[in-house]
Amino acid sequence: MGKVFYVDVARCTGCYNCQLACKDEHCGNDWTPYAKPQPEIGQFWCKLEEHVCGTMPKVKIHYISKPCNHCRNAPCMAAAKDGAVYRRDDGLVIIDPEKAVGQKQIVDACPYGAIYWNEELQLPQKCTGCAHLLDNGEKLPRCVEACPTDALRFGEEEELKDLIQGATVMSPELGLHPRVYYRNIPGKFIAGTVYDPETQEIIEGARCHLSNGAKNWDVYTDDFGDFWFRDLDVGTYTLRITAPGYEQQMFENLNTAQDINVGDIAMKKA
Amino acid sequence: MSNKFKPDVQNVVSFSLMGPESGGLMNVDSNDGKITRIRPYFYDQEYVQKNCNPWTMEARGSTFTPPNRVLTTHFGLGYKSRVYSKNRVRYPLKRVDWDPKGERNPQNRGKSKYVRISWDEAAQICADELVRMKETYGPEAVLCESDMHGEGKNVAPSHGCPNRLLSLMGGYTLQMRNMDSWEGWYWGAKHVWGCEPVGEMAPQANLVPDMAKHCDSLLYWGCDPEVTPLGFGMHLPSRLCFWFSELGIKSIFICPDLNYAAAVHADKWIPVLPNTDAALQLAIAYLWLKEETYDKEYIAQHTYGFDKFVDYVMGGEDGVPKTPEWASEKCGVPVYTIKALARHWAKRTVSILHGNGGSFIRGPYSSEPARLEIMLLGMRGLGKPGVHQTKMIEWNMWAKDFPVPFTPVKPVAMPHICDALRPIKGDLPDEINMKRFVLTPEQQEKVPELVELFKQLPAPTQFIPRCLVHKAIVDGHAEWYGMHMFSTSQVPDKNNFRQPTNKFQFEKIVYPRPGQSRVHMIWTDAPCNVTCWNHGNLFVEAYQHPSIETIVAQHPWMENDCYFADIILPVATKHEMNDLGNDFSSGVFQSIYLERPCCEPIGESLSDFDVCVKVAEKLGPEYVRAYTGGGLTEEDRVRFFYKATGCEDTMSWEEFQKRKVFVIPCKPDAQEVPAGLYNFYKDPKGNPLTTPTGLLEYSSTDIEKYMPDDPERPPVPHWVEKSETHDERLSSERAKKYPLLCMSNHGRWRVHAQCDDIVWNREVETMKIRGKDGYQYEPVWLNPKEAEKRGIKHGDIVKVFNERGIVLCGAYVTERLNTQTCYVDHGARLDPIIPGWLDRGGCINSITPTGMTSKNCTGMATSGFLVDVQKVTDEEMEGWKRDYPEAFARKVDYASGVCLEGWLIDADKEGI
Repeated sequence: MGKVFYVDVARCTGCYNCQLACKDEHCGNDWTPYAKPQPEIGQFWCKLEEHVCGTMPKVKIHYISKPCNHCRNAPCMAAAKDGAVYRRDDGLVIIDPEKAVGQKQIVDACPYGAIYWNEELQLPQKCTGCAHLLDNGEKLPRCVEACPTDALRFGEEEELKDLIQGATVMSPELGLHPRVYYRNIPGKFIAGTVYDPETQEIIEGARCHLSNGAKNWDVYTDDFGDFWFRDLDVGTYTLRITAPGYEQQMFENLNTAQDINVGDIAMKKA
Repeated sequence: MSNKFKPDVQNVVSFSLMGPESGGLMNVDSNDGKITRIRPYFYDQEYVQKNCNPWTMEARGSTFTPPNRVLTTHFGLGYKSRVYSKNRVRYPLKRVDWDPKGERNPQNRGKSKYVRISWDEAAQICADELVRMKETYGPEAVLCESDMHGEGKNVAPSHGCPNRLLSLMGGYTLQMRNMDSWEGWYWGAKHVWGCEPVGEMAPQANLVPDMAKHCDSLLYWGCDPEVTPLGFGMHLPSRLCFWFSELGIKSIFICPDLNYAAAVHADKWIPVLPNTDAALQLAIAYLWLKEETYDKEYIAQHTYGFDKFVDYVMGGEDGVPKTPEWASEKCGVPVYTIKALARHWAKRTVSILHGNGGSFIRGPYSSEPARLEIMLLGMRGLGKPGVHQTKMIEWNMWAKDFPVPFTPVKPVAMPHICDALRPIKGDLPDEINMKRFVLTPEQQEKVPELVELFKQLPAPTQFIPRCLVHKAIVDGHAEWYGMHMFSTSQVPDKNNFRQPTNKFQFEKIVYPRPGQSRVHMIWTDAPCNVTCWNHGNLFVEAYQHPSIETIVAQHPWMENDCYFADIILPVATKHEMNDLGNDFSSGVFQSIYLERPCCEPIGESLSDFDVCVKVAEKLGPEYVRAYTGGGLTEEDRVRFFYKATGCEDTMSWEEFQKRKVFVIPCKPDAQEVPAGLYNFYKDPKGNPLTTPTGLLEYSSTDIEKYMPDDPERPPVPHWVEKSETHDERLSSERAKKYPLLCMSNHGRWRVHAQCDDIVWNREVETMKIRGKDGYQYEPVWLNPKEAEKRGIKHGDIVKVFNERGIVLCGAYVTERLNTQTCYVDHGARLDPIIPGWLDRGGCINSITPTGMTSKNCTGMATSGFLVDVQKVTDEEMEGWKRDYPEAFARKVDYASGVCLEGWLIDADKEGI
């Protein structure tokens, strides 16, 4: 039980309110014993990551808001001496700003890069879940409160169980059991446009067959001649495009380490 | 002991930067006299459910419920950084080598620094100069550069206080704002469909619920609802866009950039080259005509001049059919995509969405794409369910019934003390009511205490359109058509009818007017011409012109045109003062709220109103009395303004002081009003438009009558390749030297010139890019192919340039932008290295075209112009540093950029 964050990436517009509200709360404000002031710039206790995917004009963007994961199995706690990092009853993991002075190893312990080193104060610093506000009657941390589209949620695990059921966490393979849950982080895409160069017309309804050897997908081009395969795993794919009256076109070894715009595909008359 | 985790004081303050309206409200917490945090305002659900008729929208089995709060933006959240900015003007300043009794050194404006002076000295100098101007040249020798936008304040507005003071001198020359947000709509679309006041579709009632019910696709044409509304409204458009998508409506974005809304909402992005939309539109019309897929019956009943339009489109007039092949070369969209778009549209119910127009409506000849858009909508049966032009901003501005159903049960008349843009006496007939900022007869009766304050003072005696101010100063003369009024200020009658004003667009005006002086002094409360208007570098030349003896700026921040002022007067932000705020456009509810100071005024700053009181005191007690309306204090004005709103009938002043917010109930049957132009669609004769024929004019009868031979805005809209006014196409000879079309839009991270100094926003890479020299440069977006051609890498320091100057930027190499294009948001703060030629701040408007929208359209063209982008070599930068050491030595703050200290004579030299 305890508090959890929930992030629906599909509802995020990239407004950065979460990142900025965090700074409004913590830069220049001293919330000891919860946290010392965050420096004016350079630290991102809640960081919004921008991901620009594909090439013109098949470009998609998504943004991922990343507060501290408040891991149930927190490596920063293990790395800290004198109990300088502790877990509260509500699950939030806090760096004690008095005890943690000089303990740079706490920064290095976090595989998510969520802890920052304050050179001036010689202090590791990070997201507190705005515990100082929660303990004084507020229901939400600033990042969540400022989200205009409800892409961010925060609450008791029990209360949000329907949302976090089946949601993912960052780097689950590390076994740290984060308290920040994500949905709708897009997989990779392969997209393109199919057209006839002689008539200068798009081809609607062309069959686009994608295979990675183990699995197959079929989509048909829309009335812009466009096709999209979305949410693909990283891997190597073969794409075959067929349309009645045209020679088929094959694209092999499409590697989705990056999202792929196959481009505008000129079909030859059969 | 007080609990430091709880605020000592909690206030509500607006975050909109629109002005005159205050905009959406936020909670501001203060501790120990300092702002602690700024947060969204949550409506009291129990209260609003009981009293305010909250609205919902239903479509296709889905319900849209508005949020329980005001959806604040990063501007509001970050405003603490703005209040305490290192760029605040903290006390009165005088340019060090400007001596009102000796050498004035106008040529050093933009170079020389400032010294602190007392309020007493500053006010005396200003008063003496006003008197000297009046006695030497006549009062109209003072140009008042005032405007709108800025912090929305009512009892002491950001704009218009100097106008009040200058009125008392017996008149002045007014800088009249051209229709910057609406250029193409105003100069073009109005001649197709009337639609006062600005040429965007009106009425706008219930467009959003109607689109949700009926549309198959939405064309976001040059529209970014994740950007343009943010400084004025809030994030409700984001939620509406998500809702449209959930309903299965296809979102098609047509714009040179994958803008911020396209980034997250687009189903389809069609990159078009900047300012070539007219070619794309003509090709769509061509296909519909050729394939006979348009609504012929509608055209027969609702339009005038369609045959002339057909003649041009099909090539009868000029021998050039406007085929997709013809268009593709100009607009860069493949032929097959143009055809697909035309056919997709022909088969479906489609509306067009705008922010306000943005770069789409601010290019050279913007009257043409604006007109063509309306004509395409006409071919689809404009006004029928789901066929509209809709905007995601200013939902309240000229509609009695709003596009989103938060229409108030009874409109509240919000008093506003100053009128920055009054027409010249005698320029307009009386039936055009421009008295927007006066008390209604009911208010006069209800609040006699305010009558003197709102007494109309003498109007200005001549005006210069803002887009011509620089030329008028440099040439001492200017001529233009129209702009007698800022047309949004026309007050509608009780049926929401506004008098048609199109014919004024054909009246010529000359400056200076007969018997009146040219300008010799400038007083500005809107010091942003160099970064917001056309050809900013020419403004620099104007400000350095020897005919300008004195420039006074009053502003909270040391930026842009302030660098050219001789006297700078410090202004307090709204977080430091009392006000009665009004949120009329953020979209959930309308509300009135009580703003109290969240902290003491910074330094010696005063409200805009009190700044002018200081000068009035030096002019004499009769000036103070007239200016202040009999000595009303700020507190008095707040109290009586509340009384004047009429809200007191529902919530007493005592209760309002406790609650601080009065939420205005919504009209329960708001959604019963027919959507948009439905009545015109059903019965065009019974519900005519305000065009001369009452119909959609595919050939404008006014242009046929008054300017039939204008090649830049002919009666039927044309594609204009080049003309005497502009030569800004890729086909131009100039494009050999300047091969990129520069587009410029509203900034995601600024509201025009406002908020360039919010340090936390400046960390976002689309706002600033830190160069290898540590300076935060304004990003210029470049497609990787264009960057590669030039050997430019992401993050490089580059120069964007043409014959009008050089702007240094940071390269933002991205797939989000078309080739043959570059993109810089407007409004970055000027950091002049060579004033009028080389800017380090990224102020792209410094090099935008001088020419207006077109020769007879008195607007500006600030997007879609030719430049090149090249890497700045180390050698070149070192050369500039060697030649202009003082400019580079000005202190620039690592986090917030240009700052006050850099311009103070006694500050340490800490340049970056």
